[in-house]
Amino acid sequence: MSSIPSPKVSRARTFPLIWVVPLIAAAIGCWMGISELRNRGTDITVNFADGSGVEAGRTVLEYKGVSAGTVESVELRPGLVGVSIRLRLNRTAASLASSGAQFWIVHPEISFSGVKGLDTLVTGVRLNVLPGGGPPARLFTGLDKAPAPDVTDQGRSFILQADLLGSLTTGAPVFYREFKVGKVEASRLSADSTSVLIRIHLDAPYGDLVRTSTRFWNTGGFSFKISLFGGAQLKDTSLESLVTGGVAFATPDNGALAPAAPGDSQFALASEPEKDWLKWAPKIQIKSPDAVAQSQSKKGILNELIKQ
Amino acid sequence: MNRLPSCLRAKSNSTAAALALAAAIMLVPANLLPVLTTESSGSDQSNTIFSGAVELWRQGLWAISAIVFTASIVIPVLKLAGLGWLLMSARPGASGNPRRLTRIYAAINFIGRWSMLDVFLAAFLTGLVQFGEFSTVTPRSGIVAFAAAVVLTVLATRAFDPRVLWREAPGSPS
Repeated sequence: MSSIPSPKVSRARTFPLIWVVPLIAAAIGCWMGISELRNRGTDITVNFADGSGVEAGRTVLEYKGVSAGTVESVELRPGLVGVSIRLRLNRTAASLASSGAQFWIVHPEISFSGVKGLDTLVTGVRLNVLPGGGPPARLFTGLDKAPAPDVTDQGRSFILQADLLGSLTTGAPVFYREFKVGKVEASRLSADSTSVLIRIHLDAPYGDLVRTSTRFWNTGGFSFKISLFGGAQLKDTSLESLVTGGVAFATPDNGALAPAAPGDSQFALASEPEKDWLKWAPKIQIKSPDAVAQSQSKKGILNELIKQ
Repeated sequence: MNRLPSCLRAKSNSTAAALALAAAIMLVPANLLPVLTTESSGSDQSNTIFSGAVELWRQGLWAISAIVFTASIVIPVLKLAGLGWLLMSARPGASGNPRRLTRIYAAINFIGRWSMLDVFLAAFLTGLVQFGEFSTVTPRSGIVAFAAAVVLTVLATRAFDPRVLWREAPGSPS
């Protein structure tokens, strides 16, 4: 009887295949958690003095016309000093949560100077934001109204000081030789309340029309004068300024042309023009508005490229 | 030593242990992540299982809230805990009352098929409530994790061989 060779028993300890299942489960669980956290986006809080129309879960934050986040909750702040709106930013909009960002509520606005935010009549109010670009932040203070447009390379703003506001509402036109070159941006009482400060903005190519010697006057409303020898005189500039009021200005043409006034310089606003102001006609070189728009858009593209 | 034929011998329970561990892992996202997003007239709300039960309780639907809480949170956890206990008792060298442990096993096996309440609810709501702008229900990843946990628990229970509970302790007279 031949002996059968004894079998070699190898006891290689193999990893039981079934233990792959908990590993897969752990991997899927982690992936679910991470994707949920990533999609959740960033939570920020914006404090407003007034939150009329803002609804939790419904009001959206828009930037460049598209949704950048949703209002999660609206609460009164302790002490009833305002409302605190908690926003959840979309993942792609997380960089809006940087200090310096300006938030405001867009209400429908219909006035002589234009119609703004008309869609919010139907959709309810929405929040708008202007990014700040500072370090990341979570708490912001909202603006009462939309911030004044950035004026760095889009024309120039000036401040007029007047005894009375007249009928100069926000958006009222600013004329040069009865040609509209800008509009009234804002107005407020001066610090000592003896006068009214009016901020005007001139569109891009027309900023240079204002020199240090320029005189401003109010063209608001119309005046009707009857005198014994002069007969009847009706004064008005345009139908628009008849309703909303307006500002006009002129620059003296005698002697050398005064230097261009820097932005935000202050002028007095006369209630009526003196007679020779209307005759002043200095030669001031300005670019055509198209050239300005073109250079601005080029600059805009350049800025975008630099940011990237 | 008279040995049982291999078909009657108790198998190793490592398969059951692995599946139970996987089920326990899946229970974590199932309870932490939202299971449903309800969007009604523009405002949307995401609920986890627990916040859904709390929401039902606040709306005065105490009975339904209790059912959801029991069926979706208490029972899955109890089932896994029971299974874990069985697996510990089945280790060689561990002692326990085989009769009682077998009853627990039977109970876990019986209850397993009834734990998909949340998944059914989510499936029904998602199918039914699709009114576009007015009201929409969308399932979220939490419900998938929950279903996976339930299925894995059932599989683990099936893979568990209760005969190991009756294995004689080493050293006892045969």
